[in-house]
Amino acid sequence: MTPERFRTIVDAYGADPRRWPDEERAAAESWADLHRIEADAVLAESANLDAWLADHTVAPPERALIERVVAAAPNRRPAKHRVRLWWQGAAFAGIGLAGGLAGAFAVSFFVMTGQPPQTHDSPSYLASSFDGSGADWSGE
Amino acid sequence: MSERDPDADLVARVGKQDPAAVRTLVSRKLPRLLALATRMLGDRMEAEDVAQEAFVRIWKQAPHWKEGEARFDTWIHRVALNLCYDRLRGRREDPVADLPDEADPQPMPDMQLEARVRDERVRTALAALPVRQREALVLNYYQELSNIEAAALMGITVDALESLLARARRNLRAQLADSGFSKDLP
Repeated sequence: MTPERFRTIVDAYGADPRRWPDEERAAAESWADLHRIEADAVLAESANLDAWLADHTVAPPERALIERVVAAAPNRRPAKHRVRLWWQGAAFAGIGLAGGLAGAFAVSFFVMTGQPPQTHDSPSYLASSFDGSGADWSGE
Repeated sequence: MSERDPDADLVARVGKQDPAAVRTLVSRKLPRLLALATRMLGDRMEAEDVAQEAFVRIWKQAPHWKEGEARFDTWIHRVALNLCYDRLRGRREDPVADLPDEADPQPMPDMQLEARVRDERVRTALAALPVRQREALVLNYYQELSNIEAAALMGITVDALESLLARARRNLRAQLADSGFSKDLP
């Protein structure tokens, strides 16, 4: 370690030895111990600026920013949730399949008999005036 | 680089979309990236935008991250610095003029007021530095990157980094001495 190198280190990295380059810290500290007056003069110049720099702080991120950043991350759904979704999907598929089968049965019945299936309680508004039912007032 | 990257395991979990790992990475890195961008840009809102954009790139890159080439922390600094430079290039006015006024309606005790004034002075002085000097100082002093990491990130030698750091500190001393708060300065 030379006086020039010691000054260069302190000018660049400040007075705190923890900020000095790892590979030169021990040598620089030894030099300072051996040349206390000279070293202290160099260190004092930088120590004041270090104190100023240390006073400058940046506020931590606010909760809203943290949540925005987290929300932008690709999200793997938890396993329990995925199982529930699987059952929901299966239920929807089952309902759809049942509806499809019922529709297919109705269509095939109509094709085989040539007429739509009758129900026992057809509403009166579906009956024509030629049905011979009591609804045409023919008995009057 | 013989030491393991301290972020490697966490990034691997983020790559597998582990929600807990995502939150841990955000709590570990967001304050660092926000501080870096705030000091580089001198504008909190822009810094928040940069931090968010940096994390979008982190989320994209995490599944493909491979340990060994660069440390993850160094890589995210590179990403954030590039985003900062994009914004600095887009500015026509002096960045010092962009410093927001942070009016506080609450009266402050003397000590608090003095600390705030000192903070403001350093912030203004930092913003007035040439951008490469500011980058060197922010990376080495505030982000606490080693001289080798900071120099590699800036694409310069360690000697060149030390020259930038020394000039930055000289400029800061001169500015702070001019600011009327020179009683603590030589």
